[in-house]
Amino acid sequence: MTMNRPKTVRSDQTKFKDLLARPEVRARWEKVRRYFFLRESTYDMTNRCNIRCDGCYYYEGDKPFAAENCSPEDWRSLMRAEKARGITYVVLAGAEPSLAPDLLAVCYAEMPLGCIATNGLKKIPATVGYKIHISVWGNDATSFKTRSAKNLLKKQIENYRNDPRAVFVYTFTRDNIGEARDVAAELVAAGCKMTFNVFSSPVGYAGPLRHNAESLLKTRETMMALLSRYPAQVLFSAYNAVAHTSDRGLNDLYRCSYPRCNPSQDIGLGRSFRQYRTDLNWDRSAACCVPDTDCADCRHYAAGSAVVTARLYRHAGDPDTFASWLDYVDTYLAVWVMGYEKGENLCNKIIHPPRAAAG
Amino acid sequence: MPENSALKAIVRRVAEIIIDELKLEDVTPDTFNPEMDLVDELGIDSMDLATIALVLQDEYKIVIDEDDYPKLKTVRLICEYIEEKIAPRH
Repeated sequence: MTMNRPKTVRSDQTKFKDLLARPEVRARWEKVRRYFFLRESTYDMTNRCNIRCDGCYYYEGDKPFAAENCSPEDWRSLMRAEKARGITYVVLAGAEPSLAPDLLAVCYAEMPLGCIATNGLKKIPATVGYKIHISVWGNDATSFKTRSAKNLLKKQIENYRNDPRAVFVYTFTRDNIGEARDVAAELVAAGCKMTFNVFSSPVGYAGPLRHNAESLLKTRETMMALLSRYPAQVLFSAYNAVAHTSDRGLNDLYRCSYPRCNPSQDIGLGRSFRQYRTDLNWDRSAACCVPDTDCADCRHYAAGSAVVTARLYRHAGDPDTFASWLDYVDTYLAVWVMGYEKGENLCNKIIHPPRAAAG
Repeated sequence: MPENSALKAIVRRVAEIIIDELKLEDVTPDTFNPEMDLVDELGIDSMDLATIALVLQDEYKIVIDEDDYPKLKTVRLICEYIEEKIAPRH
């Protein structure tokens, strides 16, 4: 009698325990899995901003028309309610959180892990111990053109030089790829850490910042060159570069797990993630980390941090793919979590994102 | 309906794996309630579940598709899923 065992482990798939056989891989796995408890939601702090940037996702859609709730006690209550429903990590974003320092302090007092996305023009008090992501969109000439801000990089560096909270996030647009080397050199010389983002168009945006196949390829080459040149200051990996510069966006590659794209409320981001507006309301149909971004064009670093990380299963098929995923998660944690130090990348090869395994 | 001994063994082993992987300190395989909702009551998230699924794949030489994760809400449901996967087809 022959017994068929349907759906057995495919012969080409390495066992999980074998993926963990290399001591450095096992150590990295144990290091990153300690942070699997992180459950994020995001919060617009104010609808004010001190600059106006071409392609800003915040001022797309109806977000900026929500009333501002400036009551510290309401924010304190919200943070407590968020904690009670299992949120352990807050992302404080739109429009410009540095303009609401009292609310940042309230959030930090209630929720000790989080990150603030800022343009860096106004320094956030040192008592707010969140990671701080400072958006850089090119050199000062380009910043003036696209963000109407003079000497922006100089001011950002002045505010956040040697600040352990700070990570400078260089957003590659179609227009600023050639400037990245000089900007990176300036940041590195000032002792700043940096990572990379890829401009992801808001819905309906067809302006000059939107990437095409050629600009994505050039972006990848530049990312890899800068990672190779400044491995200690550039928080990134080869797999980050691949995941964020593919001709296919993150949703197409990994199937985005934010509620806006994911109807399931069983587990994960589809269950727990909310994106609060300034009136402290949220809308499931719009909830993602970069609302009003065109999902088909989304290569955003914040989206990838959750979406790629959540696809552990797909990356546990062979040693190089698993090592690449570990590099990605190690990068994400170093960029987003205070006190987390990035390790040396385990895989410097170009590994293509795995497709979902057949059941 | 009384459960067979094979299913009982799977229930115990799955409980051991969950306790070990999640480093649970206040429960043993004997006291683990197989009907407990792992998400609502134990508080596990998608990354924990993915880890457990990978270990179970090794243990039982099966494939657990990521689309099936939401079905794996209790130890009992996990065990029934495994049993169905490893059952011989005639």
